[in-house]
Amino acid sequence: MRKVIIILILGTFLLSLTACYDAHEMDDMLYVVSIGVDKGISDKWRLTIQFPTMKEGGGQTQSGSGGGGQSQSGSGGDEQSGHSYASIDAPSFFTGIDMLNASLPRKLNFSHAQIIVFSEELAKEGLIGEYIAPLSRFREIRRSAHVFVVKGNAIDFIKENKPVIGTTISKSFQVLAHTSENIGYFPNITLENFYEALKSPCGQAIAAMASVNDSKSFAENGEPWGTKFKTGGDYFAGQLPRTGQNKIEVWGTALFNGDKMVGELNGDETRFLLMIRGEFKQGSFTMQDPQKPELIIPLDVRVSKKPQIDIDIKDKKPVIRLKVQLDADLLAVQSMINYEQPELQSLLEETFKKSVEEGITMLIKKCQGLNTDVFHFGDYAAKNFLTIDAFESYDWNRHFKEAEVIVDVNFAIRRTGTQIKSYPIKDPIGVN
Amino acid sequence: MIKEGKFGAQEAVCLITVTITSKVFFSSPAIIAGLIGNTGWYTTLISAAVALVGFCFIYLLLKRFPGKDIVEIFDIALGRVVGFIFSGILGIYMLFISVTRVNELSEFLKVYVIPLSPNWLIIGIFIACIFTLSLLGLESIARLSKLLIYALLAGFLVVLLLGIQNYNINNLFPIFGYGLDKIAFQGIVRSSVYGEVIILAIFAKSFQGVKFIKKEGITGILLSAAIISVSVLSYSLTFPYYVVQEITAPMYAMSTLIDYGRFVQRVEPLFLYVWIIGSFISATLVFYSFIWIFCKTFRIQDKKPIIIGSCTILYATALMHKDIISIILGYVVLIRNFGSLPLFVLPLIALIAALIRKKGGNLNA
Repeated sequence: MRKVIIILILGTFLLSLTACYDAHEMDDMLYVVSIGVDKGISDKWRLTIQFPTMKEGGGQTQSGSGGGGQSQSGSGGDEQSGHSYASIDAPSFFTGIDMLNASLPRKLNFSHAQIIVFSEELAKEGLIGEYIAPLSRFREIRRSAHVFVVKGNAIDFIKENKPVIGTTISKSFQVLAHTSENIGYFPNITLENFYEALKSPCGQAIAAMASVNDSKSFAENGEPWGTKFKTGGDYFAGQLPRTGQNKIEVWGTALFNGDKMVGELNGDETRFLLMIRGEFKQGSFTMQDPQKPELIIPLDVRVSKKPQIDIDIKDKKPVIRLKVQLDADLLAVQSMINYEQPELQSLLEETFKKSVEEGITMLIKKCQGLNTDVFHFGDYAAKNFLTIDAFESYDWNRHFKEAEVIVDVNFAIRRTGTQIKSYPIKDPIGVN
Repeated sequence: MIKEGKFGAQEAVCLITVTITSKVFFSSPAIIAGLIGNTGWYTTLISAAVALVGFCFIYLLLKRFPGKDIVEIFDIALGRVVGFIFSGILGIYMLFISVTRVNELSEFLKVYVIPLSPNWLIIGIFIACIFTLSLLGLESIARLSKLLIYALLAGFLVVLLLGIQNYNINNLFPIFGYGLDKIAFQGIVRSSVYGEVIILAIFAKSFQGVKFIKKEGITGILLSAAIISVSVLSYSLTFPYYVVQEITAPMYAMSTLIDYGRFVQRVEPLFLYVWIIGSFISATLVFYSFIWIFCKTFRIQDKKPIIIGSCTILYATALMHKDIISIILGYVVLIRNFGSLPLFVLPLIALIAALIRKKGGNLNA
């Protein structure tokens, strides 16, 4: 009997370990990295996928500058770039996959999909809701994939999406998505975040805004900028004055009301949004020198505590008390004014605090105007209700626009870098 | 009569805990979220308290008939015919639970992990394991669960701790979910979640006496309540109530969201081990309880042929389900809503009958 049992146990392990039915070899599969969705022409949806070709030399880039890089067309691969794309018009996502599988010599697999890109047109027409349903239900697509809304067409974004640095396109996306934590100019929104927010009675959805930058904003010639002031974060996606091989950029935020895109935030507004949502970690801010407005002072700003949000509901009208706590390091003082002195440091702190308070207040007003609580204040408002039925019948998303918001920013400069004093540069003598 | 080896209190507690807690990995959390919203984490504590009361009746019954198991007690307290019916109901219910658990696991594996493998293969492998372990007997099952519970707990805790990055405390509000009335009702009805504690009465002779059974039962229920409450709390913190209701297996879905950059992500295989091993022990023990009750009821001395036959029945019945929805909204809901009747009410009736009929050695019980 013992032998029978041992044979049975071994047999069971043998059977269970082979995984014969679901086994698939790595090179039998085509691992999709990016999924793009546009409105179709021959059918309802235009589905675009990007995948590594897994050929040697993948990731090589052309030398030179000025918006170079390799172009790809159709569904053919690119020997040098190590990745390719395919696009198809289809009635649904799953039919599109099958249709694409008929022309690709490998089975499409989405378990390594990093980004899902929707076109702005699709988002503005409120068609994302239709498309997000199959994506969230599909077991191969992880809900940790990142969601972008792209200006123009998703297919153009994917065509221009190339690993300028390194060899793998999937790593490029992973690093890019987490860059949000270091700069705060775009949110890191996953499929789970986006899907939850679309259904939430406590707020509305956002997505990172992306674009192909055609370098038109990068003026080769013209009048020098002079002493005017710009924060650097007041651009929208696709408008950064830059050039180089990498044509794509992720910048700003798409605002949704339900599944319809109703607005867009620039880089600075996105930072304020992330501060309120408790998702801002770190970023360099540029402020005007309070004593020499023609010069600037850059600060490395971090969040010292999660935002404190208290919401009272008086006569059905919400009153939101928001407290944001920031710390900073002084990165430079162009004017060489000794801002390290306690009195002058307080002046800097007060000036920056005011600018952040103004920025946050204006952003909240903008979102109230669009009737979209992308801050998810409703999450905090729910504490005022004992039951879900009471909260849902109050309908937070309708009452958000009436909310009175009191913003308080605490800001302190903690460190002054490698200098503890700024000594002025001597004025030139005898030089015109 | 057939006999089982004896084992200690720790093995018994592990056995009970693994059997009770394995259901948290399946659809129950999603169903309960649809009924009571985000309050499952404390509603389950009400269920545990009710189950403790139910176990109190089981304990009093066992105390009244020292050295007897529940099948023998049914016979003595209710008479041979009614006792036979009660034991039959309990046995069939145990078989039904094991069929449902095998079905749940096979369907969930198909949904999330091995979509191409046919049901007959998944269920077949599972039943081969149950068959093997059933042949080895209760003592082996208990020792296996004691051996594995540390790994299971470690894997479980790792998933819960890594999931912290996705926790949002605001998901726990409004604090009373869909209302106190629903919480109280579901808390009482769902005491069946802890009903597997009756296994202590089924195999009463294998434990070290009634005092130990009391300790093992209470510890098992409390430990299970803590584990279930913490796991429900963790996914309630991860998913808001309106999303968790949609998810087929919230705990698994929670583990797929863990992402700490390129080196710590895709940790769900870890959870998969916890999931499969826990379910395997749970299904085996419940199935073995059926075998035991069957053999005792029909006074069969050799359980091996019964195991072969019952495995065939288990296999055939497990293959008969229509679809995943019929399991989740049919079988599982039935077990949760009415499970307390065979698991707690039958022993209570037997206790009352024993008191009325003045059966049992300890008349002061």
